[in-house]
Amino acid sequence: MKALSAKTAPAPVRVALLGNPNCGKTTIFNALTGARQKVGNYPGVTVERRQGTCYQGEHCLELVDLPGTYSLTSYSPEEKITQEQVLAGGFDVVVVVVDSTMLGRSLVLLAQAMMVGVPLVLCLNMADEARQAGQQLDLRRMSSLLGMPVVETVGHRGQGIEQLRRAIVAQRTGGEHGHGLVLGRSLREALAAVSARLENLPQLYRGQRAWFALKLLLDEPRFVSLAGELGLQGARDEAARQRAALEVATGMDIGLYVTECFFGFVDGLLREVTLRPARADARSLSDRVDTVLAHRLLGLPIFGAVMFAIFWVTFTAGEIPMGWIEDGFTALGRWLGGLWPAGSESLLRSLLVDGVIGGVGGVVVFLPNILLLFLGLALLEDTGYLARAAFLMDRLMHRFGLHGKSFLPLLVGFGCSLPGIMATRTLENERDRLTTMLVLPLMSCGARLPVWLLLIPAFFPAAWQAPLLWLIYSVGIVLALGLAWLLRRTLFRGAEAPFVMELPPYRLPTLRAVTMKMAERCWLYLRKAGTMILAISILMWFITSYPKPDSEQLRSLPPAGSAAAAGQLERHQAADRLRHSLAGRLGTALEPVFAPLGFDWKLNTALIGAFAAKEVFVAQLGIVYSLGGVDEESPDLRQALRRDYTPLQALALMLFLLIGTPCMATFAITRRESGSIKWALLQLGGLTALAWLVALLVFQGGRLLGLG
Amino acid sequence: MMVGRPDKATPASTRQPVLTGALEDYLESIYLLEREHGFARVRDIARARGVKAGSVTPALKRLDEAGLVEYAQREYVKLTDQGNRAARRVLARHDLLKRFFEEVLQMEPGAAEREACAMEHSLSPQGMDGLVRFFEFLSICPEGLRGWLEKFHACAAVQSDGGSCDSSCSCYGDGERRRVPSIRLVDIEPGRAARVLQVDARGAVRQRLLDMGLLPGVEVRVERLAPGGDPIWIGLKGSQLALRSSEASAVMVEG
Repeated sequence: MKALSAKTAPAPVRVALLGNPNCGKTTIFNALTGARQKVGNYPGVTVERRQGTCYQGEHCLELVDLPGTYSLTSYSPEEKITQEQVLAGGFDVVVVVVDSTMLGRSLVLLAQAMMVGVPLVLCLNMADEARQAGQQLDLRRMSSLLGMPVVETVGHRGQGIEQLRRAIVAQRTGGEHGHGLVLGRSLREALAAVSARLENLPQLYRGQRAWFALKLLLDEPRFVSLAGELGLQGARDEAARQRAALEVATGMDIGLYVTECFFGFVDGLLREVTLRPARADARSLSDRVDTVLAHRLLGLPIFGAVMFAIFWVTFTAGEIPMGWIEDGFTALGRWLGGLWPAGSESLLRSLLVDGVIGGVGGVVVFLPNILLLFLGLALLEDTGYLARAAFLMDRLMHRFGLHGKSFLPLLVGFGCSLPGIMATRTLENERDRLTTMLVLPLMSCGARLPVWLLLIPAFFPAAWQAPLLWLIYSVGIVLALGLAWLLRRTLFRGAEAPFVMELPPYRLPTLRAVTMKMAERCWLYLRKAGTMILAISILMWFITSYPKPDSEQLRSLPPAGSAAAAGQLERHQAADRLRHSLAGRLGTALEPVFAPLGFDWKLNTALIGAFAAKEVFVAQLGIVYSLGGVDEESPDLRQALRRDYTPLQALALMLFLLIGTPCMATFAITRRESGSIKWALLQLGGLTALAWLVALLVFQGGRLLGLG
Repeated sequence: MMVGRPDKATPASTRQPVLTGALEDYLESIYLLEREHGFARVRDIARARGVKAGSVTPALKRLDEAGLVEYAQREYVKLTDQGNRAARRVLARHDLLKRFFEEVLQMEPGAAEREACAMEHSLSPQGMDGLVRFFEFLSICPEGLRGWLEKFHACAAVQSDGGSCDSSCSCYGDGERRRVPSIRLVDIEPGRAARVLQVDARGAVRQRLLDMGLLPGVEVRVERLAPGGDPIWIGLKGSQLALRSSEASAVMVEG
């Protein structure tokens, strides 16, 4: 029987989820699909695309979670994609998800979707909150008035999901399609007049005449020019006539009039189906909390304290499992190394132990921090506090062309750029997101701290050390904000996206939603470590180990060799090997480029290592100086550095490390999150060029002033 | 004034006795006296109407015949149940007309009272009913209006200054300023509420503001300001929004 039904299994049902931001659409999506989902980007844009599947009986549902949008227009990239998807995505059913506590506004999107002419299912999410507020709806009546199934759900508890699935399938397999959208007579007649001239609409837009007519009436540039291309000038001119007539008759501009019509329909609908309205004071608790948390004076200090607490937990509680992972990787490396005879020069051994385990281990070791940080962020986001923080921070961020919500990823960037870049997902607008992402590596991350801790005490007197550390961090912040400002005036110029941010009531986050979010981000991080970072690690390993010098080129053992001398020799040999390797040669070859900044081949080689991970810089310098097993506390290394370089060179070096060459993991994650390698290359190239320029100015300027 | 003459076009659809304006005024006076003192005497009625006691008697007789009062040529007059209802209807009508002149046409209370008195008897029941229904609609259905009353007031204000409504007070169109007491949403003090008059923004900003429900006629409340006074936090029916002052200055509200 099973085999038989498999043969006749119906074609998969293509389903899209449409809804406002914050309506719990993604929660519904997660509840529907569980783990069977894939998160990616729409091609070429920084707009997230979520896909997944689930089964309802024998039907396979293929779901797409469309970007959250307030209306189907084409102003922002999110709206553009959503509209395009709804129109031409070929979906069998579109589920409109609305927040039940905000029906008056969110049903307007449903009304717009009803114009498009696709089979719809209405999902009234957060039904529990609406019920608690005393709202009671006549669902049966609503369903018959709208001509579509209406399902109440509580996404984060999985309530109503089964019914939703059933409604989707029913709607696909011959449900009622007679949508009961009632618009005012004048609008209806105007639309009919325009649609009458849309007889020759091509196949792609067949069935969407009403929508096309509406958009022409609204004078939306995209559709107006499309009408021109399709040879539908008649419809375009008719739309212009009707528009003028409506505007004169109503005394409103067309955009307002049409919006009023949609709101009017929703008002009417709600009047018909509301058995009992929600109490007016339903939000009062949330409002009381906001009088403190969003207070004009108290708000920022509280936000500061909250962020401090999150960082503190991330870095103190993260230490312990970090130690375990570190030990684990060391043990793994030792075990793997032990598989070869002692002193073996096996290529595979070196690749596995130094390249793979060293490189990937160095990234995976931050997993506990990432996990904890994202726990904190998920809590901030899911409670609704993030929106308040954005409200408090927006003025400052806006001065530099950023969004209030950009603040959080930038702050996270002080810990590590990777989670920071991943946290830019909380930004809805593409331009805000890209700007934030591109300048984010300027936040001095945790991996750069060892470098500062090595260099600053090596070159500067104790009294200067703290101010210098502060200066380094400040330079990063100032440059990040300045660059953001510049980007918004050059690359990302154009009409600013409106800042109209919704402030949802505070909600208790659910364990399920939070763990899901954390798991998703950790998985992304690990996958990155397993693919792109693995590849770059192997590449870095290769260029720092190959080609190997012949044994004659290495310093040979002096006649009277003591054990100490042998150790010394081994370290010298390591330095020679590094110099002979591709990285060493590259470092030497780069001398003409970096000489004006005061860097020699040794620093250059170490900088190449820093591309793998910033903290590698310290280890590389150790190898160059033939000092085995150094860390940032090594007095020998500091002494050696002091001998070779001036404080001015050190300052130029620190600035270069701060600004330039974001690490390879940052490169990889930027590529992924921005959806295109060009942004990652721009970030890498742009920041490195800026770093070069700043270091040059500091070094040469300092020399002119006689500091060098 | 004789108004209650039979209207041929409309058969008496209601079973109410048709009263003249003067009789309605008597009914009203009796009702008010009864409410004030608990009783109404012919003397008092005459004084209230400003006529001689002798002229009251015929009127009372006719009201008695219509079954609206009990009057037996003695001092005291008493409204029947039917009379009571009729008197209340007359009063409510009067009140409604007065409010119409005061609130919609914005006249002084005294003048509005005089106009109401003059008008209440001169309308046919049909005309009166229509007006009542219309005014009731105005007062119970504010969201149905969405600001046109305000627009009318704005136009009237301009016309009384000698201007012409359609040239100097275009009630729509983004570019033109209207001469109504309107201020920008951004200038409203925190804690105050106001009704949206218009949204002056263009393009994406305008569409977003409209999508979020910031439509003319909607009441918004400025809840609080962020540090530095920007953005502002507003509450409207069912949702809370943060707007930058650049966006909030495009929203004009009642001053």
